[in-house]
Amino acid sequence: MDLITISAKGGKECSVRLRGHELVTDMSAEEGGNDGGPSPVELLGCSLGACIAMMVQSYCDRQGYTDGKVDVSLTLELADDPKRIGGFVIDVELPADVPENRLAAVRKIAEHCPVHATLNTPPSVDIDFTLGNT
Amino acid sequence: MAEMEFGGKTLEIDEDGFIQDPEAWDEAVAADLAKTEGVEDLSEDHWKVVNYLRGYYLEFNMAPMIRKLCKESGFKLKEIYELFPSGPAKGACKVAGLPKPTGCV
Repeated sequence: MDLITISAKGGKECSVRLRGHELVTDMSAEEGGNDGGPSPVELLGCSLGACIAMMVQSYCDRQGYTDGKVDVSLTLELADDPKRIGGFVIDVELPADVPENRLAAVRKIAEHCPVHATLNTPPSVDIDFTLGNT
Repeated sequence: MAEMEFGGKTLEIDEDGFIQDPEAWDEAVAADLAKTEGVEDLSEDHWKVVNYLRGYYLEFNMAPMIRKLCKESGFKLKEIYELFPSGPAKGACKVAGLPKPTGCV
């Protein structure tokens, strides 16, 4: 796994770098940011949706279902105490030639994508702190 | 707490524009609340969502889960967002006069 580095840029904005790519996270104006990018919480939703889209599209490609592409629409339901994502609501649109009797297989693929599996089986999170960064 | 006029009534709103007294809601209030969400005219589809949310809230004193809203109204998630660009919680619930949903992103 490549190293991911995140630098706080001031305000709510952070710069995220990975393998030569860079993206910005921020909060919306109503949440006190400048809306310079998706929020970290929204990015988690993006990760799940993109993982499902990729895995299901790969399945359709392998099976030769070519009448259309996979589209995923996703939103988050929020919860308090502690503030967190309470749920993901996801609609997946499939190529028109996916047979009805393959929908259970498609669901299984979506529900076993790596991000979904990670959410289902929470990973350990090991944080260390160092003083003196400039 | 700020006040604004909706449907000919002066109503208290919170910082996100949600009315504070759900009992003060009526269709004229909804029409003006919708304008604050960039929805100039409430179509039959808008009313289908608003009336479902309103009915659910009056029965259960809470907003429905989003999936339930989709299933009961017959709209896909992205269709709900096409109707209410701020989404089901911050957009549709506001127009339906429900309290602001909890949490933040």
